[in-house]
Amino acid sequence: MFKQSPETLEQPTQHHTPVRHTQHEDDQVETVVGPSVVVEGDFVSEGNILVKGTVSGNVKTGRLLTVEEGAKILANVKAGEAIISGEVQGNVKVDSRLELTASARLLGDITCDILVIEAGALLQGKVSMNGLENMNKNEKKVLRRTKKTIEEDIESQMEE
Amino acid sequence: MYVYLYDNFLKNKRYDSLIKAIETRLTDYGIAGKIIRLQRYTNCEMLIEDEIRKGAKNIVIVGNDVTFGHVLSRAASCRVTYGFLPVGSENSIADVLGIPVGIDACDVLAKRRKLFLDVGWLNNRYFISQLHIPPSDIQIEYDESFKVGSKGQKMELVVCNLKPFVWSKAGKKYVVHPQDGKLEAFLRPVVKTSIFKKEQFEEPSIFPFEEIIVSSRKPFVVETDGNVSKEIKVKIKLAKSRIEMVVGRDRKF
Repeated sequence: MFKQSPETLEQPTQHHTPVRHTQHEDDQVETVVGPSVVVEGDFVSEGNILVKGTVSGNVKTGRLLTVEEGAKILANVKAGEAIISGEVQGNVKVDSRLELTASARLLGDITCDILVIEAGALLQGKVSMNGLENMNKNEKKVLRRTKKTIEEDIESQMEE
Repeated sequence: MYVYLYDNFLKNKRYDSLIKAIETRLTDYGIAGKIIRLQRYTNCEMLIEDEIRKGAKNIVIVGNDVTFGHVLSRAASCRVTYGFLPVGSENSIADVLGIPVGIDACDVLAKRRKLFLDVGWLNNRYFISQLHIPPSDIQIEYDESFKVGSKGQKMELVVCNLKPFVWSKAGKKYVVHPQDGKLEAFLRPVVKTSIFKKEQFEEPSIFPFEEIIVSSRKPFVVETDGNVSKEIKVKIKLAKSRIEMVVGRDRKF
């Protein structure tokens, strides 16, 4: 009575194509470099990186980079966001926010949008912030406009 | 046509009632089929190829994680839809696939929600659940871009595909998603060895990857899905969308 034919069962076949990072978008496994682990070479990751050990080579990620106290990075760093509590010997380029905590030691130039430096952090290098460059451009534009308007005013006066 | 591969341990009397109930449910759904009992030395690849030639469209594994790994590590290259009916203990893979243990698994099988799963590839053979290298003097090269080693200590390596890696120290459980397009390597250097030779590990380093090369000067042990071998150099990579599998709605990926 309750028997179903294989055809009726196989009809609602749902053939899903692989869906990546659905409900686990936020809690995906991040890359972790343990305290006694040494990484040599260019270290590139798509997800968050947590460094507790030593990395001798460039580090690159589009997401958050966290360098814990006691950790070392001996090369350039490029990240979406960064929180540094350890030692970095190289240039740091961050797309948005860079945070240096009290235990941070940074020897190199910084490029970022937002910079947070806690009291006690050591920093030696040049700091350039993206927002400031935009401001300079705007000022130049204003100057150019004012120059133009002055010239136009003079010309109109001469014509009169 | 359905073919059911029963693990040898299901011969035990305590599974009799459950197996009968499963078979009745499968008959009700109209998906009952041929039953083959696996022995220790059964060559699953040849067996499944033979059944495909005879017209099998669905191969259903009945057993636990060990059965699942034993069958699919050899038969992942066979072009057929796989199903899984988890029975008994040691069924962590079923949880990841969203298949309930016992008779309710028949409902999932009948619904035929299919997905392509990634599997691991190691020196010309597949691994389904986990790859384990006990503490050894190993060095790992990731995706031909960087090398990972430890400060003079031995390291344990676990590469997870479908079986979750459980790190008990902090009580934290990493559920690995087989569909994320990467394998995850959990690397734990040995901190010290106690008097009773019980090793204490550091917290794990985690590296998602598509290809790694594990090498050592001395031969090291590699355990995958019940296979144990000794190697000097191992290439581990991801074989994308290799197995077509019936999965449950509550899967972890």
